[in-house]
Amino acid sequence: MSLVKCTHCHLEFDEKVMIKEENSPELNFCCNGCQGVYHLLKDDGLDNFYEKMGKNTIAPPVALGADSSNFDMDSFKSRYIKTTNDGFSRVDLIIEGIHCAACIWLNEKVLAQTDGIVEASINFTNNKAKIVWDEDTIALSAIIDKIRSIGYNAYPYDRSESEKQATKNNRDYFLRMSIAIFASMNIMMIGVAKYSGFFTGMEEDMLKLIHMAEFIFATPVVFYSGWIFFRGAYYGLKNKILNMDFLVASGATLIYVYSLYILFGGDGHSYFDSAAMIVTFVLVGKYLEVIGKKGAVDTMDKIKSTIPLEATIIIDGGKKVVPLDKIEIGDIIEVKNGEKASVDGELVSGETSFDESTISGESLPVHKRNGDKIYSGTINVNQVIRYKAIKNYANSTLNNIVELLEDSLNSKPKIEDVTNELSKYFSVIILSLALATFAGWYFYDGSFEKSLIIAISVIIIACPCALALATPIASLLGVSWLAREGLLFKEAKFIETFAKANIIVLDKTGTITKGLLEVVSTDFKSKDDEELNMLYSLADSSTHPISKAIKKYLELNFENLKHVDLESVEQIHAKGLIASYQDKRIYGGNSELFEAQNIFIENEYDRTIYHFGYNGKLVATFELEDTLKDDAKETIEYLHSQNIEVIMCSGDNEKIVSKVASQVGIDNYKAKMSPIDKANFINQLKDDGNIVVMAGDGVNDALALSRANIAISMGNGADIAIAVSDVVILNDSLKGLEKSVYISKRTFNFIKQNLGISLVYNVLTVPIAMAGFVIPLVAALSMSLSSLLVVGNSIRIDNKKFKGK
Amino acid sequence: MTGILWLELIVGIIVSFTLLGIFIWAVKQGQFDDGKKMMNGLLNDSVEDLQDAVRNEEKVKELKEKKAKEKKR
Repeated sequence: MSLVKCTHCHLEFDEKVMIKEENSPELNFCCNGCQGVYHLLKDDGLDNFYEKMGKNTIAPPVALGADSSNFDMDSFKSRYIKTTNDGFSRVDLIIEGIHCAACIWLNEKVLAQTDGIVEASINFTNNKAKIVWDEDTIALSAIIDKIRSIGYNAYPYDRSESEKQATKNNRDYFLRMSIAIFASMNIMMIGVAKYSGFFTGMEEDMLKLIHMAEFIFATPVVFYSGWIFFRGAYYGLKNKILNMDFLVASGATLIYVYSLYILFGGDGHSYFDSAAMIVTFVLVGKYLEVIGKKGAVDTMDKIKSTIPLEATIIIDGGKKVVPLDKIEIGDIIEVKNGEKASVDGELVSGETSFDESTISGESLPVHKRNGDKIYSGTINVNQVIRYKAIKNYANSTLNNIVELLEDSLNSKPKIEDVTNELSKYFSVIILSLALATFAGWYFYDGSFEKSLIIAISVIIIACPCALALATPIASLLGVSWLAREGLLFKEAKFIETFAKANIIVLDKTGTITKGLLEVVSTDFKSKDDEELNMLYSLADSSTHPISKAIKKYLELNFENLKHVDLESVEQIHAKGLIASYQDKRIYGGNSELFEAQNIFIENEYDRTIYHFGYNGKLVATFELEDTLKDDAKETIEYLHSQNIEVIMCSGDNEKIVSKVASQVGIDNYKAKMSPIDKANFINQLKDDGNIVVMAGDGVNDALALSRANIAISMGNGADIAIAVSDVVILNDSLKGLEKSVYISKRTFNFIKQNLGISLVYNVLTVPIAMAGFVIPLVAALSMSLSSLLVVGNSIRIDNKKFKGK
Repeated sequence: MTGILWLELIVGIIVSFTLLGIFIWAVKQGQFDDGKKMMNGLLNDSVEDLQDAVRNEEKVKELKEKKAKEKKR
């Protein structure tokens, strides 16, 4: 089996299943969608896209079949479209399917080339797009069609007040942090001259100049960038709390004031550098927190954009489009093919199949007859049906899940990290020691200046730089090692939590299993070429997961398959397909379909079954199953060996779940879990004092993922699952879980070592400083040395490469 | 010697604070809201992309003029 890359999406597939073109044999496509988009881009002169894409891969374009005309409806316009000062229209969209910078480039370029579009800018970080266009030249539906034609999709979203506030906050912190970093870097550069001069000798004038330059750079850092800490300290004191902000503000101010005294006439060296460093280090940490909060707002917008906007209800025989909150219990709602059910209800007319993967995680559509329950958020994949609302929107499944998700994202479980805990006590102890030193020396010696200098030395020598660096440096190296292995940790602090986890909850479909049906056994009554071609053509005429699996099996196992033009292919709900060819009947489907045609199947099967019949005879039977991922068993063994309890949760039935659990060696499993059950289960585990990691890939897992201490999603998972996750396993392999555990644990060991180094350093040096043996300058040098020790130790993290342990 | 250095310091500070002012303006404009895109622009934008940006600006100008004329009518 040789793998080749698809020319468009760059994903690798077996050469046999690729679509080739006679005129250009170098081109390989995994599906018609990729082929279509490739030629579209080439014809429009946009094939630069592939150069920009580099080694990245994208998801193959999906045929949506959805109608974009609802984007031109008045109800849509009044809710989402705003008019700019110039008289143009503006909409905010979330673009689905963005994988890399090239995707952004392509979308922006295609939109910029479209007549009537004034502005199209897409944010790479959150995939939100702002589109401004001239309504007289182009309709919004045409813009959406343009985006869909190149393999992406777009949903509108309401730019909420919370987003505007988060963006403003983000900018504010970014500016404060940038200025702090810029000034601190300059101070460091000047510091080289200052400290060199200490050893080689320096004129008084020169020293004054250096002090002045440091003063100019340090002042905005302490008072502009550090303003946040002064504000925090003020509110803390108002509420009678001595918080971290107070310690940073008071430490920095003390050193700054002392340095001012030196600058304007005092004898000695100024320490503006230490004041600026303290503020900068702590501010960088704060900025990362702010980014995290902005991320939660973006995720919520992404989730809300997938909610249907309105529903069609039947009143007095006529149809009326109404917003979701206007639907009342008892209303009859019509759902067309490809549309989502808006509220929970019961089917009253028509027969169809619903994609319930948002609820159960299973990709096979569920057949619905009269009286069956319809869940909001599930997608109608067949014919138009009507159903009666039994709940209003506020109480429906979809809204429940969205509201719960919003709550969880706003209060994402946090584990207090070791550094924060330590530095809280550390700062209090150091400030008290400095105060005691000052008082002691003043009492003993009587000199205010000398006492102050010694107290300042204590603060400087114990400057928590090494402590502040201990976690971030090790985490940064750990995160970049993880990234090289295809494991994307959205924040470095997750490493620490991951290393402490004692329970891993795994979803079944898509996480432990491949989430795709595969033929696992066959029974051919005959293997006639003509019959095989009929079977191949029949399987190719449907996009149902079973048909796709049969088609793939045939392509891999038989050569020279030919397409025949079948006549009147008819889909029989939840049973299969019937077609005809030259007056002969062809059947493909389950036993029920065959029995209805008077072809009786004797055997009973446990697995999903597909029979193929031709001309009144049964020709072949295929048994299909969702197969395990190659490394599932091995990974679970490894997790057990690390004393991590593994629990499997699935929306599937008990029989299938227990079978998969026994195959991979999991003793503890839960079947028939709804998204809310899964979330409650995670909560319960956490309440029992466990640190829980949850790995899943579907929309149905999103709520449980948002509740876990660490959420892991598979790279091919649903956008929402990825959005709420803390860790993304890009290559979908379970081996990633094993690597994450190994690397996190190793990194966490280094964090502990670093903290140890910095504490030992302080225990040794602080008493020396208190005794008055260290002048502030030596204290500053020794402080830098402790930081270097921590950095040096951290570099050793990825010396020992992962070897499948 | 130190006289020259003092002068350099003053000039340096004026220049850096001017640049800082431009930076603050750019941040407030939202140019740094999308860190990833900014870095990618620096690494990958070609001459062609810049030409496109100019063409796009001209297109927008035309559209705005057209819209303004319509408003007057």
